[in-house]
Amino acid sequence: MRLRVAFAAGTLAAFVLAAAPVFAQKQGGTLKISHRDNPPSASIHEEATISVVQPFMAVFNNLVMFDPNEKTNSPDKIVPDLAESWSYNPDQTKLTFKLRTGVKWHDGKPFSAKDVKCTWDALIGQEEKSDLIRKNPRKIWYSNLKDVTVGSDTEVTFVLGRPQPSFLSMLAAGYSPVYACHANGRDMRSKPIGTGPFKVVDFKRNEAIKLVRNPDYWKKGRPYLDAIDWKIVPNRSTRTLGFVAGEFDMTFDSDVTFPMLKDVKAQKPDAVCEARPTNVNTNILINRDAPPFDKPELRRALVLAIDQKPFNDILFEGQALMSAVMLPPPYGLWGMPKEVLETLPGFGSDVAKNRAEARQIMEKLGYSKDKPLKIKVATRNIAIYRDPAVILIDQLKAIYIDAELDPIDTTVWYNKIQRKDYSVGMNLTGGGVDDPDTAFYENFHSASDRNYTAYKNPEIDALIDKQSAELDRDKRKKIVWEIEKKLAEDGARPVINHNVANTCWTPQMKGLVLQHNGIYNGWRFEDVWLDR
Amino acid sequence: MGSYLVRRFLLMALTLFGMSILIFVMLRLVPGDIADILVDAAGIADPKEKAKIAKELGLDRPIIEQYGQWIGGLTRGDLGFAYVSERPAIEEIAPRIPISAKLTLMALFFSVILGVPFGVISAVRQNTTLDYSLRVLSLSGLSLPSFWLGLLVLMASVHWFGTIPIYTNEPRGFLQEVGLLAIPAAVVGFRSSALIMRLTRSSMLEVMRQDYIRTARSKGATNTSVNYNHALRNALLPVVTIIGIEAAFLVGGLIVTETVFNIPGVARFLVEAIRWRDYPIVQNLVMLIAFVVVTVNFLVDMAYMVLDPRIKYAD
Amino acid sequence: MAIIDHEAELHRAGANITGWRSQLVFTARRYPLGAIGAVIVLTFVFTAVFANFIAPFDPTSTDSKASLARPGSVFWLGADFMGRDMFSRIVYGARISLAVGMGATLMGGLLGVSIGLMSGYLGGAFDLLTQRLLDVMQSLPLLVMALVMAAALGPSLENTIVAIAIPLVPTVARVVRSSTLSLREQPFVEAARAVGMGEVRIAVRHVLPNTLAPLIVLGTAQLGSAILVEASLSFLGLGIPEPYPSWGRMLSESAAEYVRTAPWLVIFPGVAISMTVFGTNLLGDALRDILDPRQRS
Repeated sequence: MRLRVAFAAGTLAAFVLAAAPVFAQKQGGTLKISHRDNPPSASIHEEATISVVQPFMAVFNNLVMFDPNEKTNSPDKIVPDLAESWSYNPDQTKLTFKLRTGVKWHDGKPFSAKDVKCTWDALIGQEEKSDLIRKNPRKIWYSNLKDVTVGSDTEVTFVLGRPQPSFLSMLAAGYSPVYACHANGRDMRSKPIGTGPFKVVDFKRNEAIKLVRNPDYWKKGRPYLDAIDWKIVPNRSTRTLGFVAGEFDMTFDSDVTFPMLKDVKAQKPDAVCEARPTNVNTNILINRDAPPFDKPELRRALVLAIDQKPFNDILFEGQALMSAVMLPPPYGLWGMPKEVLETLPGFGSDVAKNRAEARQIMEKLGYSKDKPLKIKVATRNIAIYRDPAVILIDQLKAIYIDAELDPIDTTVWYNKIQRKDYSVGMNLTGGGVDDPDTAFYENFHSASDRNYTAYKNPEIDALIDKQSAELDRDKRKKIVWEIEKKLAEDGARPVINHNVANTCWTPQMKGLVLQHNGIYNGWRFEDVWLDR
Repeated sequence: MGSYLVRRFLLMALTLFGMSILIFVMLRLVPGDIADILVDAAGIADPKEKAKIAKELGLDRPIIEQYGQWIGGLTRGDLGFAYVSERPAIEEIAPRIPISAKLTLMALFFSVILGVPFGVISAVRQNTTLDYSLRVLSLSGLSLPSFWLGLLVLMASVHWFGTIPIYTNEPRGFLQEVGLLAIPAAVVGFRSSALIMRLTRSSMLEVMRQDYIRTARSKGATNTSVNYNHALRNALLPVVTIIGIEAAFLVGGLIVTETVFNIPGVARFLVEAIRWRDYPIVQNLVMLIAFVVVTVNFLVDMAYMVLDPRIKYAD
Repeated sequence: MAIIDHEAELHRAGANITGWRSQLVFTARRYPLGAIGAVIVLTFVFTAVFANFIAPFDPTSTDSKASLARPGSVFWLGADFMGRDMFSRIVYGARISLAVGMGATLMGGLLGVSIGLMSGYLGGAFDLLTQRLLDVMQSLPLLVMALVMAAALGPSLENTIVAIAIPLVPTVARVVRSSTLSLREQPFVEAARAVGMGEVRIAVRHVLPNTLAPLIVLGTAQLGSAILVEASLSFLGLGIPEPYPSWGRMLSESAAEYVRTAPWLVIFPGVAISMTVFGTNLLGDALRDILDPRQRS
């Protein structure tokens, strides 16, 4: 029933949009945006960073997507994209899409169901020969996808191993574009083709990304903009100054921290700035397999020593969100309400009491002010990692831990963590979709590539699988909270906070809706227009 | 002299060959390679995928073979493929050269315009307040880190004009490009101008002590004529040399300045490529810089030989 | 090219010198800029050595209430984004600059002297080989060479020292080699040889001391550039990592973001670098005037 409603709403929306006279939106203009760093490539499927998704999502289409006009991504608000409609078989293991006709790739070749199959075959590694991708960071998303079958040019079916309600959400994410069968990986990484509203003209490393309007876009009347110019400016102050000076119409996503916001507002009072969670949480990695933190009581002491408030006050002017793994309400769909959260270890508000308890534990283990435990806190040598690590070190002094910062070159960071060559690490974890499947499978399931800490807990594995197959959302939420509780009690990866940052743009830019629980979604730019 | 030329030429080639080995080996010592970076950028650490990338890029082959391939390509004018962009390295490097070259020339122009006259004035007015102030000024030029100077200029620019000069991709016309490059060029050139001024000064003083100057003076030539006709002309030779050498060595200053002003030249690209472990880019850029330095040294020597007949090249 | 008889120099200049104190005063009067340089350098060294007594705060301790605090009575030079006291960080930063500057200069000097002495003394194949190697090293600008070295070694305090020291070697080696070559033929060296002194002993006892004057001049100049190169490397993120409060690093990331709201984050570390290098340059100029009369201005 819900599906039919979605379909109907989608058609209705398409109808209204197509029929609506162009009275408000203006056609034309070049949107200029600053970019924070050099995207490692243009191939969304191969990368796991907003640096790639934000500029290149506009080149592609998905099968379905989160309604770009809604602030909150939700399974209830998924709209058609290349798929006109979709339906499940009765036991919810076959998901069939009816595809749009008359869609063309940027090189003029027609789009068909085969392209969908090629894309997901490459992602589940069924097509070993596939030259479409060489890296697959979200393999775990599709561990339940068994096969993709082509019914006709306009019909494609995803065969699942078991029911998985989150599957459609993952397909709706900005991370899940449809690639062309006839493309090759090298082109996708440097000058990709898609079916989307904008074509790539040029992608100059460390310099600029130029997109122009796709005149043959299947959605009539879109996009409004003639072109989008991304300019790569690695120095944040130069970027911000450029925005303030009017060189850019928009800042990079979440590029404006709270301390900088005042500055931006002071210099450009008409700037529209919106704060939202970045889908990234700051967390602590603890090496539980080696001394000294192989002792559970020591791990507990460490968790008790953490006072989240100073982290939040310094790094986010108190605007960050407190939560366990899942993004908290009202932004997130799955996080615990405050009262439940505070029952978890490490989230109690009485820091002094917690630290006193931690000191007792430490004393019992033979440490004291004069005989502190000496450790190193490993972190990536990037400011956003280093800053919280410096605060953590400062806090650990309170429980007789004398820590030293061990900044790791970003190139060898994952190697080091995987080798378990650390005792405590400061880490940031981002999530592509606000769904427990992505968050838990990626980071805590023993079979995941991205479970850096190699956290192994059969009980957690079973619970993750159980919630994943649960079709009833309320029941699923209960299991999710149970997992959260167990992870927190186990000190699996203590979360310090969920980051929040600002994105700013000129008031002349209209039609952009920032998604509040998914920075990786909503960057199609087809509804964006410039009022000048 | 012919044999000297040949010898100099062979030495140049030898130096460049040595540099190619040095840079090649040093790069392989850098912890982590492009495969690490690429999988890291995707937030995964799958050894299979890493191995696949390494194989695709030829990183799994013996070092000697990799070196041979690079040098072999170089002699054919083939710089190899950039790892990150997967495009021919020449396509990545070539468009960036003119930008840095223009910046260097403008910086040099700036430093000569400032350095030579002030050096002469300082020498002629030796030990006056003017001399002292100019010397202090030039020393400060040598002491200010150019990235700091750049930041201060940006700060001032925002403060007074509410904007900053950001290098746009295709500057519209010559004047705009000069305008965009002028400030960074001045920032880079400030240091060289200090160096040139100091050298002009000491070289002038040296010449002014020479017998023929004293003779000219005793013959009743005016001070101005002595200073500018006799002394300056003779003092300029070492100055010309230092200008030549500075031209090659300005690259050092460009690295930070291009970063601060976000100019897409070769110097900033080098830092970026080092960060990405993009060996083909780093190797070729380093060789390019070494080539420029060595060639300039050679030309300066030649200029010396032509300009100063006193120098003999017996061996 | 013997070492300068300083006393005779002063007497010739008409000074009535008695005791070291008046000698110092005289020298300072004669070289006012050098004296200023010496004062700056001494202040710098003093600050670095006694940083823990001078700094009012722990340079790494954070304070959420002091984030971006303005310069005032508590935080004399303001506080950074993490609420760390800028004054304390700059004071401790002097340690890093001194350690890297001195470390790199000494290490480069030591290597350069040994290579230069051996090269000039042994001659032959060894000389030829080292000369070519030095050619190679000198075909890259100092910062480029240091950059590649720093990247190859990875960021740490020790590695940064090495990365800066190595590119300094060729100049020192060349200076030592050329004076060794000319000194080798001097009568007093031949005399030493005639009385049967060993070559190594001659090199160390007679040749080396006579190259000291140009070495000291060169060393002072290199100290300045080493400090500048360290600042540049750290600014580019390839030098000293956190938590060490390096002046260059302080200017790089977070500072530059608050150019408008917190200009003190940009101004003070820059002033510290500039003053220090300025001091070494002033001192170096004066030393050159005193020790190397040929270049006297």
